[in-house]
Amino acid sequence: MAVGTDSFLHLARPLAPSALGVQPTTAPLNVIIQPQAVFSILDHAVRRDIRDTQSTRVIGALLGVRSEDGMEVEVRNCFAIPHTENEDQVEVDVEYQKNMLALQLKANPREVLLGWYTTSLELNSFSALIQNFFASPETGTFPHPAVHLTVSTEAGKEIEARAYISAPVGVNAERAAESCLFIPVPYEIRYGEAEKSGLELISGAKDSENRAAPVVSDIEGLERAVDQTLDLLERVSEYVNSVLDEDREPSNALGQFLMNALSLAPKVDPQDIERDFNNHIQDVLVVSYLANTIRTQIDLSQRLATATLTMGGSDALAATGGEGGGDKGQRGGQRGGKRGGGGRGGGQQREPREPREPNE
Amino acid sequence: MADSVPKEIPLNSVQVEALVVMKIVKACSATFPTTATGSIVGMDVNGTLQITNCFPFPTADVAASDSHPNDHMAASNLAAAAPRSKANVTYQNEMIKCLREVNVDANNVGWYTSANMGNFINTSLIENQFYYQKEVNERTVALVHDVSRSSQGALSLRAFRLSPSFMAAFKESKFTTENMQKTKLTYKDVLVELPIIVHNSHLLTSFLHQLPAELPKKELEFPASLQELTADQPPIPLYPNLESLDLSIDPYLEKTCDQLLDSIETHYTELNNFQYFQRQLAREQTKVTAWKTKRTAENATRVAQKLAPLPEDEWERLFKLPTEPSRLEGMLNARQVEQYSRQVDGFTASITSKMFAVKSNLLPDSS
Repeated sequence: MAVGTDSFLHLARPLAPSALGVQPTTAPLNVIIQPQAVFSILDHAVRRDIRDTQSTRVIGALLGVRSEDGMEVEVRNCFAIPHTENEDQVEVDVEYQKNMLALQLKANPREVLLGWYTTSLELNSFSALIQNFFASPETGTFPHPAVHLTVSTEAGKEIEARAYISAPVGVNAERAAESCLFIPVPYEIRYGEAEKSGLELISGAKDSENRAAPVVSDIEGLERAVDQTLDLLERVSEYVNSVLDEDREPSNALGQFLMNALSLAPKVDPQDIERDFNNHIQDVLVVSYLANTIRTQIDLSQRLATATLTMGGSDALAATGGEGGGDKGQRGGQRGGKRGGGGRGGGQQREPREPREPNE
Repeated sequence: MADSVPKEIPLNSVQVEALVVMKIVKACSATFPTTATGSIVGMDVNGTLQITNCFPFPTADVAASDSHPNDHMAASNLAAAAPRSKANVTYQNEMIKCLREVNVDANNVGWYTSANMGNFINTSLIENQFYYQKEVNERTVALVHDVSRSSQGALSLRAFRLSPSFMAAFKESKFTTENMQKTKLTYKDVLVELPIIVHNSHLLTSFLHQLPAELPKKELEFPASLQELTADQPPIPLYPNLESLDLSIDPYLEKTCDQLLDSIETHYTELNNFQYFQRQLAREQTKVTAWKTKRTAENATRVAQKLAPLPEDEWERLFKLPTEPSRLEGMLNARQVEQYSRQVDGFTASITSKMFAVKSNLLPDSS
């Protein structure tokens, strides 16, 4: 379920000069990123404004949940923040950030501000400035460390991501605001069961020329899964065969694994299988049959309810010409006998044998 | 927006960005089984509605009611009505204004909702979609994500619009038999489904190629032991999803059957309502006829007595004919039943093939 990264060494980081009473947490931190957050960042990178700003990167805020002990943060959501950046200054739309944060939190009350992202791997003094903004007690995540996620979005290169937290460094007081030490922290991209089917569909489109894929029905999905499984089986049996022919090097571990897998096949009496199979398939087919019958009945009743029927005879004996007689049809045709009228309750045949209201 | 677009090209397909798919999946599964709703933004290009972003609507204090499991119905209803509520319209406008600043398409193109085993066709859906299609922008869609079905196999995401004829009828809320006969409106015409295409950006495609995807083509090192193999399993590709090979179908069938029974129940209620109406009508009409005969007789005597005849149309004031109940509920129910049975068909198709596969696997010589 997870795309892990290399191993990380957690270092105790220097403490920030803390505000009164509140101790900043120093526990190691593990960052979990959900795919939709990554998707959102990439989308933002695609939509960046290239006209009036020299910066090639965009920034945004990360939202998500933090575990109770603060050891683990899960990035679930993020939003873009407009900013401009040039050689000597950076401007972040603080007002926008505040508004958007309020809006986002309204819809997802359980999420909190976790940190920020940017779309280049570079860390510079502007990064420190923004990082300090996001880590500050008033506008940021203090006493928890603010997470900084960098995602490289250069065309034609691998997309790399790194996660950092920060610690203050000992420079003089005037420059404290624009300097900090970025400490890399481990992260992983993790997706849950629910997202799996979505990701499946999305990755289905990745090899096609126009980067698009239609939503498939269950049966098509099944077909592909079966094809895939057959391919895999083919591959395994090919390997086993070539080992038997002494073409390829055998492996004890693989053999053991295959043995274990094969021994999972249940040993059941053929008759039992036959019986269970028939029972189950009958159940399934009956459900399907009933569902379709119900559909037909209701379809019929809807049709009868609105069919423009010409008046046939005046009373009980309806014109027998199919659509011939009947008034509003009473939505009657379905569910034999439900009409309760003595015997006349017209079962499921098409001619509605209903008493009419003369002037409908 | 809607007006600047030439109306000649009707919407014929919906193209959803991968981001939107993921966001909807997340939002819907997070609140499951409570209904989740949200707004989608995008634009339409030559009849294809491109949906490029979405955001959820705030749910009013659902979190507070989490302790009572029975409340989720109430919460669902609340959430289902969310797209129409005033607070959310403000929220939506606010959000779109913000999104515009970061170059997201600032054009509302509809809304999304979650469903549970296909039970999404109800008045709430119709009213929401009507609200969107009527006022905000004509070219809007409702995206329906079925959480339970997606967990069973392929992702279930569908796009719906109300048909123009249904729009017209709903506007005047005329769902009488007479009117439906005239307009030939049937339950099949309520919703129009549009095909959905999922689209990825270039960057995303690049990213997806880094996720575990295909099995490595090159020769791998042999594992030293079984432990190593189990501890360090090769990554499982996302696509195709092998989980659709799972055999357990019964819970889904059972759930669908339950829902079908509910629908039949609704159908009977509607039926009874209508029969009640017809009996009522018949009774009133008998009374009217009786009154008319009496009045004619009276008038005859009055004429004989050289008195002015009493007016004969007074019955309209004296007797009030019952109003015909709306056909809408019945129509939606019929559409819902159709949806269920299609769904069952789908289940049956895949489960039978899977079962035959299993059978011929276990009993190779029987077939």
